[in-house]
Amino acid sequence: MLLVATTAAACGDGQDDGTKVSAPKAPATIPELTKDPQTLSFIWFDWPPAHALEAFANAEYKKERPNATIKVNTVPNANWHDAMFTQFAARKTDFDIAILDSQHIGEAVTNGSILDLTDFVKNNIEVSAYNPYLLAAYGQFPQAETGKRDENASLYGLPLLGDTWTMIYRKDLIGDKPPQTWDEMISVAERCQADNPGVSGLAFHQANGSDAAAVTYNTVNGVYGGNLWDAKNRKIDGVLNDTAGQEAMDVLVNKMKPLTAKGSGNWFIDEVNAAVAQGKACIAFNWIAASGGLLDPKQSTLGTTRKQILDKLGFATLPSQKTNLVPLGGMGMHVSAYSSKANQAEALNFMKWFERADVQKKWAAAGGVPSRTDALESPEFLNAGPFNQVYTDSVPRMRDMWNVPEYARLVNIENTNVNAALNGAKKPKDALDDIAKEQQGVLDSSSRKGGGGL
Amino acid sequence: MSDPVPLKTDHPGQVASATLPAPGRSRRLSDRGLAVAFTSPALLLLLAMSVFPLLWALYLSFTDYSATRGGPAHFIGFGNYTAILTSAQVHQRALTTLIYVFGAVGLQTVLGFTIAYLISRRTHGRGLLTTLFLVPMMLSPVVVGLFWRFMLDAQFGVVNSMLGSVGLGQVEWLTRQRTALISLIVVDTWQWTPFIMLIALAGLSAVPKYLYEAASIDRASEWFRFRTITLPLVWPLLLIAVLFRAIEAFRLFDLVYILTSGGPGVSTETLSFHVYKVAFLGFNTGTASAYGILMVLVVIVLTQLYLRYLNKLKEG
Repeated sequence: MLLVATTAAACGDGQDDGTKVSAPKAPATIPELTKDPQTLSFIWFDWPPAHALEAFANAEYKKERPNATIKVNTVPNANWHDAMFTQFAARKTDFDIAILDSQHIGEAVTNGSILDLTDFVKNNIEVSAYNPYLLAAYGQFPQAETGKRDENASLYGLPLLGDTWTMIYRKDLIGDKPPQTWDEMISVAERCQADNPGVSGLAFHQANGSDAAAVTYNTVNGVYGGNLWDAKNRKIDGVLNDTAGQEAMDVLVNKMKPLTAKGSGNWFIDEVNAAVAQGKACIAFNWIAASGGLLDPKQSTLGTTRKQILDKLGFATLPSQKTNLVPLGGMGMHVSAYSSKANQAEALNFMKWFERADVQKKWAAAGGVPSRTDALESPEFLNAGPFNQVYTDSVPRMRDMWNVPEYARLVNIENTNVNAALNGAKKPKDALDDIAKEQQGVLDSSSRKGGGGL
Repeated sequence: MSDPVPLKTDHPGQVASATLPAPGRSRRLSDRGLAVAFTSPALLLLLAMSVFPLLWALYLSFTDYSATRGGPAHFIGFGNYTAILTSAQVHQRALTTLIYVFGAVGLQTVLGFTIAYLISRRTHGRGLLTTLFLVPMMLSPVVVGLFWRFMLDAQFGVVNSMLGSVGLGQVEWLTRQRTALISLIVVDTWQWTPFIMLIALAGLSAVPKYLYEAASIDRASEWFRFRTITLPLVWPLLLIAVLFRAIEAFRLFDLVYILTSGGPGVSTETLSFHVYKVAFLGFNTGTASAYGILMVLVVIVLTQLYLRYLNKLKEG
């Protein structure tokens, strides 16, 4: 595959002229749309929101554009980055809209793979309708400071699906009131595990694929007052592994891990959901957008109706400790620079339509997580799921990872080392120091001439 | 057109069939031309799909090219090769790969040969048994990886459930450093032992029966017959099977990807898995190309040494 990609890149008419490639600009106004049958293709990973998007868009967007068909192509989560970026590398994509994780934006922008939407957004999107950080997180590059948006920075995407972690707790085992602090959460989980043989205290992401274990550590790091990096000076070594970072790693490995099920060291979204649905965990953490299945009686042993399940399951915002930070999840829509002009025009039209207030509320009612403030506070959204209030309450508390071109390597380093610490293959302190040192090496080598390293 | 005339042979009464040129064949297309016409599509395909990419990868291996970052490829000499050969990360993956290759191929050879030997002694149901044993080899490695992943799951897997039913505790097959590599070896052995068995079975079937009859007349023991007749005659064929399996095992990627993702940490990351990460996470195409070329070189050199040994064995 690498050879095909490099050969295609070498033989293509690309923009490899030796100068730094920048993202091409999208038109400020939507060009005339075709009246011929048109298929607008997305690429995402395979999870319920992807199927919900395809069904929603085909039902609703077709009312505006009867000749358009929406196709959401899905790949396994672990292949998501590769599936998009190998096509970007070949300068030819079979998708028109890439649904990127916020952290992928830097890589896509510096490689010129997605359109610069700044002018388009100015003319077509009501930016004041959003929490500025949400708009920045899913579109801005260079990355915005946590909680803010730089209005002079360019935008390369628009929000598609907001997301963050929710704490899922067993009301029948620990009571109706969720723990408020991280330390309290650990002691409640410990007690629950001791009182309920066969039920583990905690369930959370620990796998070494995607960003699973990395997000878990980053969350605990944030809660205990740590920082992932000093973005201004591009410094990780000495920042990530400072006292707060060490404390977070200690809490994760020595206090939280012993409360998880045996063999849960490779758990990600589905495994955590399975543990909750089968009544095997007192407290669990998972992405809100992936939690809908927990309420399905066909997939749960907690009850035969949604109500019975909800009598046992509670959803709450994450406990705070030294800070109240929560991880920013979700994804934005980005137009492929290698898509045809007609499809790019259709993609822009879709995005303008999707960000309308009425459509955002319908998306919320269909199971999506919108980003417009009016939609987030609407009854359509808040009544659609028991965890939606959690998302609305979490928006001002969000923090993202590094949105830089080297993201894929940085997250791999963190994932593998945190996973090693969680599974006893490395001591927690060594793992954290290795993360800091190796990530710093990646950042430092990015500006250096050479083969890019290992 | 006249009827074909029978050709005379040296043996009276025998008639050789004559093959005349096909009626519509062009006079301008010689036998050589025909050969070229028939083989050139395959050759062109081979050049386009194998030789050109290989040469292209060789060229990229001396550059700092990145497939996604674009820009021209700058020549950096042996920089990529030096970085790979001196990297502690690569040494660690090489050691993991080595343990895996020796463990998996060794186990498969012993088991494959044993099963083949036992099957070859049966007179009834040999065909059925052989077919049944071959089933794992016919499955896709991804399918094999997935169902073993479910079977080895510490919480819900059937393997731990069986262990539990006989009073043994849960084993974390895929999430502990030692058991994860052992699990990979076991799964690969489950899938590929039939390959060794098949080749060993072919070798065992080819051993002349009269040798065993002569040994029986001399009242040679079973062990003596195995040691002096069976093993020496099957050994060269078995070594070829080992060579094929070792090359395959050296390139192991799919099972690692599905079963452990290289974890816990990077403890089951093989060289191929590491090349994949360098190529598709960092998109350091030049470095990944050099890494791939080095792996090919290692296989070629080791294969040559092995083949020399095999030739010596034959001559002996």
